[in-house]
Amino acid sequence: ICYVLEFALVRFLQDSMVNSIKGVFISCDVPMAQFIAHLNNSLPPSQKFIIQVLKLDTTCMFVKPHAEEMIHSAVITFREQNSYDAKAN
Amino acid sequence: MPQVKIIAKNFMDMVASLPAIKLDKLYNNVFICEAILRSLPPLAKKYVLQMLYIDVAVPATVLEEWVLADGASKHRVAIDRLIQLRIFSEITDRKRGTSYSLNPTFQNNLQKHIISGGVLPREPMNSDNSIKLPSLQELETYALKQWERFLLQLINSGQGDKLNGISESMMKIFQRGLLSQRDKDGPRLTESGFQFLLMDTNAQLWYIIREYISNAEERKVDPADLISFLLELSFHVTGEAYNSNTLTELQKNTLKDLEDLGLVKLQQGMKGNWFIPTKLATNLSVSLSDSSARKEGFVVMETNFRMYAYSTSKLQCEILRLFARIEYQLPNLIACAITKESLYNAFDNGITSDQIITFLQQNSHPRCADRVPAIPENVTDQIRLWESDLKRIEMTQAHFYDEFPSKDVFEAACDFAREWGGLLWEDSKRMRLVVKSEVHNQMREFLHTQSK
Repeated sequence: ICYVLEFALVRFLQDSMVNSIKGVFISCDVPMAQFIAHLNNSLPPSQKFIIQVLKLDTTCMFVKPHAEEMIHSAVITFREQNSYDAKAN
Repeated sequence: MPQVKIIAKNFMDMVASLPAIKLDKLYNNVFICEAILRSLPPLAKKYVLQMLYIDVAVPATVLEEWVLADGASKHRVAIDRLIQLRIFSEITDRKRGTSYSLNPTFQNNLQKHIISGGVLPREPMNSDNSIKLPSLQELETYALKQWERFLLQLINSGQGDKLNGISESMMKIFQRGLLSQRDKDGPRLTESGFQFLLMDTNAQLWYIIREYISNAEERKVDPADLISFLLELSFHVTGEAYNSNTLTELQKNTLKDLEDLGLVKLQQGMKGNWFIPTKLATNLSVSLSDSSARKEGFVVMETNFRMYAYSTSKLQCEILRLFARIEYQLPNLIACAITKESLYNAFDNGITSDQIITFLQQNSHPRCADRVPAIPENVTDQIRLWESDLKRIEMTQAHFYDEFPSKDVFEAACDFAREWGGLLWEDSKRMRLVVKSEVHNQMREFLHTQSK
């Protein structure tokens, strides 16, 4: 009886371990989401950073921690490419 | 962007935060009692006046009868304020419950004040018109000029003339929190510094005075004495001369600092030294929301994003430079343009679009201010759009949880995260959760207790 109880206790503890992953939660509009997905796809498989897309319309996703900086600078470059700068000519 | 706000606290909040002994000492001064009475919420004023000539403690239930049922929250606020300022002392008796009585010093002084009308410790000097006093207009120009000089010195220690009264170390205290020391280019304005510059004069004055008083202890000056002098000053008449020989040493030293801020004008002549309080000083005890002295606006904003500022002040030029591109400067006019680059510059420095728009609205030229809206909508909309363009992606450090053993644990975890304000996303079908990283440690402990 002793053994059975102990075994049950161990099973219970193992089963109830919730899994947690550390990362960055991203919430944005659809065009930006497409941009981030494109960025992700252009990287080799080892460097892909999207862990999970959370919503069907892709406006929420969960990515690896190191991706925050990279996404930020990519967005800034993209925005600057889209802005007309009179002096740059 | 981190939201750091400079809170220019009300003078009364500062008084209320003094330790009990100092507060009781303050109430020896009749003018302080009057100033504090003025600052109380209306219900509290009524209670004080009603209890002014009652010597015994009044039970709380009697006080509650004076209010209608729907005034209960205002009643609570008034009583709390009175207790905080130590005007009311609370006595709890097992038999008779709570009762309140007025602070005796406060009570005596206010009674005397009502009867005698309150006489300042000094009379205005110029009864025989022998001194030529500056007119009120001249005084106001002087005050404004001094204040601007002070501000310019504050944000840019290199530029501007040296100040007389305020020492280098005092300036450093004021600059703490507004400027940051950078080794290469010299001190640079911080985010709070920018927000400070865009506040209106009264709010800025409060901030400086508050820092001045908080710093008083380090200079071996009793803050209570300082507060009592400043409050007394606010009861003087603007534009009248008062003899400086009626002041203590401390007060004379304080006057020199106040002159640099534009609160008083010091003069001397055959009759000795005297000081003249300006409007900035007499406005000191007035609460922040009551800013009756509105400077005249000087900014004209056009729909083509051009801005014309009718001003010759260096300080205002610097402020405009924060978010607009200065095109050229004429003897009475500064012509600027609001561009995407200039705004991005401002946003990088921590200024929000709301602050810029409020600044433009508060300082708009009288001709423009009459128009509705004072600033063209396309300009305000575009400023907000440019700001939101920078914030398209919201990124938060978080943890992703899945593989919950049961629906109950999942629901409990959701509620827990919601209570702590950390719930970012949930999926009840597949039992998955995303929670802010700041809450992760508490979440982990909570899940451990759940599994037991």
